[in-house]
Amino acid sequence: MCRAGGAPEPADPGDETDGARMDAAFTSLLEDSAEDLYDSAPCGYLSTMMDGTIAKVNATLLDWLGLERDAVVGRKRFADLLTVGGRLYHETHFAPLLRMQGDLRGIALEMRTAGGGRLPVLVSSVVKYGSEREPLLIRTTVFDAADRRAYEEELLRRRRDAEQARTEAERARAEAERARAEAEEARRQAEADRERLADALAVLQRSLLPDTLPELPGMEAAVYYHTASPDQLGGDFYDLFPVDEHRWAFFLGDVCGKGPQAASLTSLTRYTLRAAAHHDPEPAAALTTLNTVLHERYGRSEDPRYCTVVFGILEPGGDGGPTKIRIASGGHPPALVLRADGRAEFLPTPGGLLIGVLPSALISTAEAVLAPGDTLLLYTDGLTEARTGPTRESLYGEDALHAFATALAPAAPQETITALNRLLDGFGDGLDDDTALLALGVPATRSHSCPATDSP
Amino acid sequence: MMNPLKITRRDTATGPVLHVVGELDYDQADDLRAELDRLSLDAGQCLVVELAGLEYCDSTGITVLLAARQQTRAARADLVLAAAPPHLLRILGLLGLDQVFTLRPDATAATGSADATGTGGSTGTV
Repeated sequence: MCRAGGAPEPADPGDETDGARMDAAFTSLLEDSAEDLYDSAPCGYLSTMMDGTIAKVNATLLDWLGLERDAVVGRKRFADLLTVGGRLYHETHFAPLLRMQGDLRGIALEMRTAGGGRLPVLVSSVVKYGSEREPLLIRTTVFDAADRRAYEEELLRRRRDAEQARTEAERARAEAERARAEAEEARRQAEADRERLADALAVLQRSLLPDTLPELPGMEAAVYYHTASPDQLGGDFYDLFPVDEHRWAFFLGDVCGKGPQAASLTSLTRYTLRAAAHHDPEPAAALTTLNTVLHERYGRSEDPRYCTVVFGILEPGGDGGPTKIRIASGGHPPALVLRADGRAEFLPTPGGLLIGVLPSALISTAEAVLAPGDTLLLYTDGLTEARTGPTRESLYGEDALHAFATALAPAAPQETITALNRLLDGFGDGLDDDTALLALGVPATRSHSCPATDSP
Repeated sequence: MMNPLKITRRDTATGPVLHVVGELDYDQADDLRAELDRLSLDAGQCLVVELAGLEYCDSTGITVLLAARQQTRAARADLVLAAAPPHLLRILGLLGLDQVFTLRPDATAATGSADATGTGGSTGTV
């Protein structure tokens, strides 16, 4: 480990002349080299008696420790050169082991300098024995391990840094995990909220439209409701209910606007009309009551609300008799009758005004008789205002609906609704509004009672 | 599909004129509502809403026009819908509102006459 510094070993001499000169040079180098090599070696040397008393020490070590030779040789023991900790280790481990084994290599100790500093060193010692194998002295080499210690400390520091980085990464990972868990919890919460909201919307939607239609004696009824956007409450409405033993009321309408405000108006309208019909089943009277209620409720508000409605009273004729229908309209598209003979005709209600606009309603009325095989169709303007071309000017319109109904007639209520359902599907994106359809008809071949169908 | 709603305003001797261009629907009707909120009308004035450039009007748009009618009535002013395009006239007819709004063929006729309830178009019934 300790390499002789500055004095290369003599090489094999060359020719005689050069060899002689070389020999002289080497000799001059070697003459003081033994002494110089010992004293100026790049490591510390010392020899001690078996009790540790220092017998010989080189200049390198004295220089490292800042000590004078005279103060050391014969006066100090090796252990005296060590720090307290080093001394303790020397007495308990180093010296006993050395005595036992005869040599020790690369033991890390700390020496104490004259200035009070510490010098980390690596110490190797060998016991020299006499001819009788008796221990004579101890030869010791001392390597300055300050750099190595610094290197090791650097390694330790790096390891601590790495450890700390690992700890921080672990903490960051834990935090990320917690954040992920929180996000997951928030997502589940949002999902639960969404479901609750969807449930609430479904309940409200059912309050706007009847779950099922009642059975109409001797008649058939069918409905269809198309929702333009599934997360919006509908703005269209319909209902069918008995007002006394002989008469049935029905209505279908459309509130202006969309969303929750429209839905609250739908609800108010539906229950107002139901109550009004029981009080006075005259169609114009029911709509007049509704107009008064809406105008009183919203007429002076910042945010007025309106709706179009067609309201009707139906009197089944009994066996063989004609079924009489009287309707009233407030700004609603005209009802349509599909006749058993293949014709289709509108029931015009001109001059009826949007409900809720004026304090006194402008209601238009019409009457019709349904014979067996005739079907009355009520619809909202989602059907007639559906776009059939690239611009908003190309609308389906009443003329096209009339042609469609003429081609379809005669048709029973469910057949009519099914055909219109297909028509609406065909509009695709052109159908951007809610659409309600209600068909009431007298079966062509009279049966006692047909079950009501509905598909909201 | 959607064209932005553009509203410009000019003040005349008889009252403000709102020039409305674009689509008056659920998504944009609030712009006209806000413009109406900014108006201050004096009794006897006439608000003219000029609609020649109106490309589309849904039920929410109709509601805003009715709100304008309410606002002018509250101020004891008049409202004239000028140059309503055919599609709007058709809807107004369906809803019976041609009986309620004062309609004029163009804004000049509406503002040029000192008598806001003169001839031309249908006259209000209330």
